[in-house]
Amino acid sequence: MRLADVLKSLTFRYIAKYVTTLSAAVFLLLAILYSYFSYGYFTELREAIVDELDSLQLVYRGQGLGGLEQYLNDQHNLPTMGRYSYLIVDQQDRKIAGDLAQLPRYREFSDGWVGFQMALLNWGEPVDVDFLARQEPLGDGYVAIVARNYADAVAGMGLVFNTLFRAMIATLLLGIAGGFFSAATALKRFEKLNIELADIVRHNSRQRLSVEDKKGYPREMAQAMNQMLDQIASLMQGVKRVSDNIAHDLRTPLTRIRNHLSQLRARLDPAGQDDIDRVIEECDGLLSSFNALLRISALESGGSTTFNSGLFLPGLLADVVELYEPVASDKGVTLRLRVGNDTAQCAGDSDLLFQMCANLLDNAIKYTPANGHIDVTLATREPAAVEITVADTGPGIDAGERESVFRRFYRVESSRGEQPGHGLGLSLVQAIVHYHHGAITLADNEPGLRVVVQLPGVIPPA
Amino acid sequence: MKILLVEDDRAVGEFIVSELADAGHECTHISDGENGLSAARSNDFDALVVDRMLPRLDGLELIRSLRAGGQLTPVLVLSALGDVDDRVQGLHCGADDYLVKPFAMAELLARLEILYRRAGQRLVDVPTRLCVEDLEMDLLSQEVRRAGELLGLQPREYRLLEYLMRNAGQVVTRAMLLEHVWGYHFDPQTNVIDVHVSRLRQKIDRGFTRPLLLTVRGAGYRLGGD
Repeated sequence: MRLADVLKSLTFRYIAKYVTTLSAAVFLLLAILYSYFSYGYFTELREAIVDELDSLQLVYRGQGLGGLEQYLNDQHNLPTMGRYSYLIVDQQDRKIAGDLAQLPRYREFSDGWVGFQMALLNWGEPVDVDFLARQEPLGDGYVAIVARNYADAVAGMGLVFNTLFRAMIATLLLGIAGGFFSAATALKRFEKLNIELADIVRHNSRQRLSVEDKKGYPREMAQAMNQMLDQIASLMQGVKRVSDNIAHDLRTPLTRIRNHLSQLRARLDPAGQDDIDRVIEECDGLLSSFNALLRISALESGGSTTFNSGLFLPGLLADVVELYEPVASDKGVTLRLRVGNDTAQCAGDSDLLFQMCANLLDNAIKYTPANGHIDVTLATREPAAVEITVADTGPGIDAGERESVFRRFYRVESSRGEQPGHGLGLSLVQAIVHYHHGAITLADNEPGLRVVVQLPGVIPPA
Repeated sequence: MKILLVEDDRAVGEFIVSELADAGHECTHISDGENGLSAARSNDFDALVVDRMLPRLDGLELIRSLRAGGQLTPVLVLSALGDVDDRVQGLHCGADDYLVKPFAMAELLARLEILYRRAGQRLVDVPTRLCVEDLEMDLLSQEVRRAGELLGLQPREYRLLEYLMRNAGQVVTRAMLLEHVWGYHFDPQTNVIDVHVSRLRQKIDRGFTRPLLLTVRGAGYRLGGD
């Protein structure tokens, strides 16, 4: 399982999208809350400043400048948090009282509000702090200024904002990591499913998917797929049974017909006998088709297998080649066998493997024109596999048709009607190869056809 | 030849009986295993044709009991089971030949006659020389002569001729040649055997007015005889 596969997987993409949307929504919600609270805070701040200015005015009206100074001093000595700063100036902007030396450079907001920055001592260090201030005339040309710093609030809000941002990042990271792991787990399960399915399709149609999960979709899916496989198997078996039954049931009456024909033949003149012989030949052809069909079925359904454990293949190949050599040379085709000094052995049934080689050679001779040649080779491949190759110089088979030729009764279009045969030869070959747990491939011999049969080999005892 | 047929399928049984009668053989038909075994023990027959699946006593069991009692009458097994394993099983328990249903009557006849002749030869000394008319085969020097003239045969042609000579006058089918001369039981798609036989025929019959190796239409070949 590769990283890219996980990142590309549906599960991961789904979870990543979900986590991103969720954190965006949470962020938006918190931002709205933040602005709502900060708006409320500043509204309160302004109201408090206006209240304080009102109190200054009351004090001035009641007790005059002296009372005001007394009040400001009292305020200065109060150890309260969020203290106000004051400045009282006369008409010429000269300081009369207050703890601010003078009004610093300020920015004017709407409705007589101003804001400025001023350094405050914070544990001996001067720190610039934001102030919000308002000035209002007290009467007699005096003007009162009340300012209040909101550094605490800003710091608090900054903290909230930072926390929020970090929480978002953390949510995203954790969510994506979680998504990655759940995607990886899901993928692992799918990968296993895929491997099992491929195995069922290619090799072992009786195998079923493993149902490990206790519950949930993967389990249901595996069960549904297993049911599907069972249905396919039973359908295929049904089809096979029908064709087997037809072959089986027709074989007996056909044999009876053949026997009657040979009885009839004895009573006819030579010309009539020739006609009957042709009919008998047709009967024999049909019978051999049925027999081949039934043999293929029997091989495909597996069943009891008592293999000869050390079949000597060079000898078997020599026998086949020897059997077919006269047919080939009658047609002007050279038949060559190359086994080298190979002592390849395989576990198998000699009659079946002989049949397999015979069918392959028969085809090769049929399709190779005069002066052509056929090479039969035997080679040992690693690890412990033997390879039988039959290569001819005939017309070959188009790449598109190479899979189809193994189908029962399939005949290459160009050879239909030209060559005798019932279209079961290669089906039988394939059935025999699979029965021996081997593999067969068709390739281009440039020109011609190259059939490669690989069988599991047996390492001969040294 | 007196033949005992043990076969439970009536239609098949009657057909075989009538065919064997036409070929000049005397045939007794019994339809179950137990009665078949007691009839076979009477030792009145030259050959037995036994179906595998029989009521009361299985065909193979019948043969086993028969052989256990020291009976050597040749037995040919008929069976609908054609797998290699079945064949091996059949031959293992003492049968002499095995024929898969459905079969051509000519095949059954040819096989029965050869079984019968082989059983007769068992008592005779092992020959070192085979003769069919003017064709002679020396089994020791492996030389073949026709009318005294030495014929050059390939090893396989020699074995083919030897099998034909050992069964001279009998019809030998293509399947029998494949089994006994090549040692493989398989279904050739084309007439590979015919080509081998015609090559052999060229060597032994060319230049002679009387051909020895004959083709029997619908059945196989025969060396010598009429």
